[in-house]
Amino acid sequence: MSVADGIDPPLGEETAPARAPFRWSRVLPWGLTALIALFCVVPFLLVIAISFGRKIEGAAWVWDFTFENYQRFFVGTLWPDEVTFLYLQQLGYSFWYAVIASILAVITALPFTLALTRLSRRAQAAWLVFILSSLSLSEVFIVMGWDILLSNNSGLPALFKSTGLTDWLKAVGWFDTLREWGLANPRNVKFKTSEFATILTMSYLVWPYSVILLYPALSRLDPSLSEAARTMGAGNLTVLRTVTLPSVRLPLFGTTLLLFVFLLGTYVAITVFADPSKHTTAVAIYSNVRGANLNAPFGATQAVILLVSASVCLVLGHTLNRWSEAR
Amino acid sequence: MTRMNRRSLLKTGAATFAASSLGAPLIAQDRSLKIGSYGGYFENSFKEHVYPAFTEATGIAIESVTQPNSTDWLVTMQQATAAGSVPADLSLYARDTLIKASRIGGLLQPLDLSAMPATSNLDPYFVFEGNEGPLGVGAMSWFTAMVINPNEVDAPESWADFWDSSLYESSLGLSRNYNSQFLDIVAATFFEGEATFATQDGIVALIEKAAEIKPNVALWWSAESQMEQSMKNGDVIGGQYYLDVANLMMADGFPIQPLFPKEGNPQDYGSWCLSSLSDKSAEAAEFINYSSDPATQALMSRMIGTAPLVDKSLTDLSDEEFTFVSGTPSIKPAYEAYLDNETFIKETWDKMLAGA
Repeated sequence: MSVADGIDPPLGEETAPARAPFRWSRVLPWGLTALIALFCVVPFLLVIAISFGRKIEGAAWVWDFTFENYQRFFVGTLWPDEVTFLYLQQLGYSFWYAVIASILAVITALPFTLALTRLSRRAQAAWLVFILSSLSLSEVFIVMGWDILLSNNSGLPALFKSTGLTDWLKAVGWFDTLREWGLANPRNVKFKTSEFATILTMSYLVWPYSVILLYPALSRLDPSLSEAARTMGAGNLTVLRTVTLPSVRLPLFGTTLLLFVFLLGTYVAITVFADPSKHTTAVAIYSNVRGANLNAPFGATQAVILLVSASVCLVLGHTLNRWSEAR
Repeated sequence: MTRMNRRSLLKTGAATFAASSLGAPLIAQDRSLKIGSYGGYFENSFKEHVYPAFTEATGIAIESVTQPNSTDWLVTMQQATAAGSVPADLSLYARDTLIKASRIGGLLQPLDLSAMPATSNLDPYFVFEGNEGPLGVGAMSWFTAMVINPNEVDAPESWADFWDSSLYESSLGLSRNYNSQFLDIVAATFFEGEATFATQDGIVALIEKAAEIKPNVALWWSAESQMEQSMKNGDVIGGQYYLDVANLMMADGFPIQPLFPKEGNPQDYGSWCLSSLSDKSAEAAEFINYSSDPATQALMSRMIGTAPLVDKSLTDLSDEEFTFVSGTPSIKPAYEAYLDNETFIKETWDKMLAGA
């Protein structure tokens, strides 16, 4: 497309308006809009429509317009005889894991990225390429790796045993405390299934993203600001607290929010590392839609509620941010 | 194959096109059948050992189609049937999925048992009758067995031993799905078996008993491979797992031993089911007939590790070969109850696991 495309011909030259030349530039935006609608909005609307469907016991489901699935989400299927908050609990765990893991990833990525920006151009490029390429590892692959690292015969527990740490823990009596916490069986320590393993893996999963998201903001930090603070006698911590952190507050907040939304849908890490008592909505959605159950309407309901709650969080985050900016 | 010149090829082409709007293969003389089976080792064994022998015996070519499993395949076939074109003529469904398919309706076509005389070798339990007629004929069966790590514990007499925390604290691997037959084990061990599933109170009692085993469970597995890795890695020292795979792992030297405790192990089976859109009912009948033959059943037991659906005396399996894939007693899962009370059992079970 050239600049001339956008200029209308002079009025007098318009002899046959019906045969005006066909312009791609006019059609393209509409075409793209239609494509986006087709591939993004329609599936989305479909999920909402399915969430009002009805499950037939022992078979599949049918289209309908019922709020039963939404009611079930909040109080369970046996309401009003019995009330369960099972699905709210799962939603709670979705948020819990996503919040903790995203904060953990950002907190650990921040000093690393700061240090990275102070390296030579060449070294920075090498690190960034390495971190970018590590993003190509899928969740399944990463979870498999951590699964091996935390396994009894080949991972951390084996190390505990061979170094005598397990025997030492038993001797001083801390082993029984670990057993109460579910981090040991009578033979050795165990890290699967545990919240520790789940959150560790989830943070690891998004850690490269947090470096890449923080890097632009941190690399633009003017070093003269912290140098000025230092000449006025501020220590390293004071500089970090009063100069560096306030100037990257916005990207820090934005990165955490983005990772949080990304982690809400984590599936593999949760199924492998979390105990069923601490499973999330994402896992529950899958077990309803696929697998043995064929209850797509209830799965869709859970998906819609997860989406709405995530949106509420984003809006809240945005408002909070503007409010603190205004102050 | 007969020789063909261009003219006759065009004629046959036109005729076949007219005969089938789906567009049958151009060479009408070739008979073929698309058969689904669970992908991986299972499907490969079928392709290597069963299909070639069948093609040799009947001249019918088999095209193997990969199924992820039974239940997810039902979703695929349901959508494909609605769309008007299915990826397989015969599918392999476990009994609960088969019942589900028959209740959904319109997905399967009745089978003509008179065209498959060899099916008389099977126990009638393995031929599923829907309202329209026979909808599934047993293909092979498999057991979910009790397994232990023989280096860590002695062989238990009964499933009830798994509830003993002095032996198994945080050490067992059980399946996470409500309908993966752990409740059938509970029913057979502590209650009246399938009859306990008849009432909701009975189901609640079963699930409450299952809740008592939670402190001993280190892994609630949802994928087979999780349990395999955990047994190999020593993360768990017992639990429930597929008999044939456990035997294969034991033969490879891993610390696992499958057992038949006094209550027995749950036995599930897969059925051949014909898609309602398939026009290959004659070929399908020949294949099911072949699969029901005691010789084929023995071949599958040897090569694939499935339990035969015919009496052992009809086959030439040795005692050793037979115990590798089968055993007694067998616990028959309460398939109908799981489907009749689907949402209730699932939610009660999930609540139990979540402690909610």
